[in-house]
Amino acid sequence: MRLKELLKHREVSTLLILVAEIAFFGWYLWPEAGRVHPFLNAENGLLILKYSSTYGIAAVGAAMVIIAGGVDLSPGAVIALAGVVCSRCYVISGWDLLPSVVCGLLVGLLAGALNALLVALVKLPPFIATLGVMGITRGLAFIITEGRFFDVSSRLPSGSTASLGWLAPLTMVALAVLFQFFMKSFQMGRAVFALGGNETAALFSGIPVKRVQFLVYGIAGLLASLSGVILTVTQGQGKADLANGYELDIIASAVVGGASLSGGRGSVIGAVLGTLIFGVLRNALPQIPGATFYDRLILGVVVLVIVVIDRLLSRKGN
Amino acid sequence: MSGLEFRDVAKSFGAVKALRGVSFDVQAGEAHALVGENGAGKSTLMKILAGITRPDAGAVLWDGVTLDLPTPRHALDRGIGMVYQETVLFPNLTVTGNIFAGREHVGALGRLRKPEMRARTQSLLAELGLSLSPDVEVESLNAAERQLLQIARALAFECRLLILDEPTTCLTDAESAELFTILDRLKAGGLTLVYVSHKLHEVFRLCDRITVLRDGQHVTTRPKAELTPRDVVRSMVGRDLETRTRSAQALAALESETPLLAVDGLTRRPFFEDVSLTVRPGEIVGLFGLVGSGRSELAETLFGLHAADAGRVTLGGVPFQAASALEAVRAGLALVPEDRQRQGLFFNLDVGQNLAMTRELAARRSRIDGRGEAASGQSLVADFRIKAAGLEAPPDSLSGGNQQKVLIARWLSTAPKLLILDEPTKGVDVGAKYEIHERVRQEAAQKRACLLISSDLPEVLALADRIVVMREGRVRGVLGGDEANEESVMRLATAVAH
Repeated sequence: MRLKELLKHREVSTLLILVAEIAFFGWYLWPEAGRVHPFLNAENGLLILKYSSTYGIAAVGAAMVIIAGGVDLSPGAVIALAGVVCSRCYVISGWDLLPSVVCGLLVGLLAGALNALLVALVKLPPFIATLGVMGITRGLAFIITEGRFFDVSSRLPSGSTASLGWLAPLTMVALAVLFQFFMKSFQMGRAVFALGGNETAALFSGIPVKRVQFLVYGIAGLLASLSGVILTVTQGQGKADLANGYELDIIASAVVGGASLSGGRGSVIGAVLGTLIFGVLRNALPQIPGATFYDRLILGVVVLVIVVIDRLLSRKGN
Repeated sequence: MSGLEFRDVAKSFGAVKALRGVSFDVQAGEAHALVGENGAGKSTLMKILAGITRPDAGAVLWDGVTLDLPTPRHALDRGIGMVYQETVLFPNLTVTGNIFAGREHVGALGRLRKPEMRARTQSLLAELGLSLSPDVEVESLNAAERQLLQIARALAFECRLLILDEPTTCLTDAESAELFTILDRLKAGGLTLVYVSHKLHEVFRLCDRITVLRDGQHVTTRPKAELTPRDVVRSMVGRDLETRTRSAQALAALESETPLLAVDGLTRRPFFEDVSLTVRPGEIVGLFGLVGSGRSELAETLFGLHAADAGRVTLGGVPFQAASALEAVRAGLALVPEDRQRQGLFFNLDVGQNLAMTRELAARRSRIDGRGEAASGQSLVADFRIKAAGLEAPPDSLSGGNQQKVLIARWLSTAPKLLILDEPTKGVDVGAKYEIHERVRQEAAQKRACLLISSDLPEVLALADRIVVMREGRVRGVLGGDEANEESVMRLATAVAH
């Protein structure tokens, strides 16, 4: 009975998928006696967490946008632009690290505000609005770098990049918990669900629809830029082609984590777990001999399988 | 036997029993009326006949043979055509394109045989006496032309039975008259008609026999000559009509109150113009008008959802202008909207959250008080007798009447000074309708001001102390006390006797 109740939460089933996935690769990649497990080891675990958190931090905001009935195609480009701006301020202009980071975050906030403006006030479909902003931000990143990259690591104290390894995963977990709490326990969070469920009813019920839209796109932009800044600092360089195509993986993660692209359903923690599911796949597949060229295909199939199973289960529930 | 026979047809949607074993027959060549209140099951029955939904139990027989209609296409192939209440046409296609949509005449390699279809359209339009070009896009047609186009579409293919579901909802009287002339002619040509409506004068004008449904059950099927409109109404609602209960004395006492809401010359083009009205505490003011008369737009403007072009509103003697629904709620207004599915409920949230939504927003509390929400939810469910599996139940598991009660409860829990109800009993069953009427009377008795928008005339007559009649966006008269009756209100609403 308890277990059944627990399984009703979509986050729990997403977690189970992740655990099953880890178990599968743990078994499949089990090494010969005496050798280190190529997948199940602490170092590899941190690696997966580190790379997944670039997606995961942005997925927190993306999930909120999707729950509110929108979609955001700009996070990949915002990650790049924020990283580029931050590293340019730091490396070329010679600013301190903190103001450079703040500057990078401002870029994300502005991009999010522009998305919100186009969606809430100009009334563009979110797909088109954020597609445009994606082009603008990615374009700006290229204009600023002029094909170079900014070497952040050269100015950072030596060894600091390595010690920052836990920064991104910890940030991701903290944000996931924080925004899950916001979405579940605050009136504004519920308003996000309500808006995604029925926009007209939201208007008639007194929900400040535009304010909610600015909130979710603003948070999505801010978190994407946070992800970009952390990535740039920990990787040691800012460049314009960073995070290319991440937006679709981020959206897919949110969907795998229970979000519905028609709005009104989903969860922040689910989206973050979704990015971990992808992270594990991306890490483990190349270790399987002969699977090298199959990883994109398998990723695509996994998304479809999870979403279809989810559909079938929820239909049965009704 | 020749004709159509329904045998114990039953259909449920979730918790809602739309049809509970309906049996009656329609004879070939007759015009048969199907009447009943909203939610009586008329539309569901017709959707079964048109192949849109399938019955859970029972059968439909045509000339003694069971009809199996898994899709609308099957119904069309059997000669059953349907004209819907709201027109289901393709506004971006031409008249010809609409008539042949999905059933195009094609030549080799699937190439459209346009001249052939155009010619067939032309002769069909001529048959119906329609002066339309086959090449005009449907977007540019008016409501009446669209309704007639639907008929043409049904007749384009060997149609033996034509179903019309409230076809005059969006038509003017003149347009309706034209429609009836055409229907008379089709009937004389041997077509069997099933006419679904709750407008009794139309039914008595057109039909040979009348079937009454109530709450998904068959009440009676009789020849028109054996029935009076009063009999039909009684069978439809299951009792005599409610009458106004307020005494002359109580009405006089109301007169002495100062108005809570005073609207003066409010205008929002092109929806309504120069509207003035007042509502006193404890008074139920009916706002009556046909579809398109601007009533809902007026309510939405008062509620801060649209900006007015001109005019003044005072609330409790103070100038009032809301810039958003939330401001209106905080000023003491509540609007139970017309379309509960589209404008009211959140189907991704549970009943408890739906109930709490507006009250919590208005309270300026940022954290959700889970325990308080559950407690007030429980008491609202009990108070309004909402039949739900629990506060965690999703709204789509509730019947139409209970969904409506959730909305009314949501809004009354904000303790409004002025309650605006827009079509509060549209599509709810008779029992819920009665309960909602009682609730509105109770609220008025507790000095709440109520503005009741409805196109259900008996409802307005039964509840309202005064009736403001709108037509084409303007107030055409205010009827109070004994001046208000079916005839006087309709005369103002339709402008026939001018």
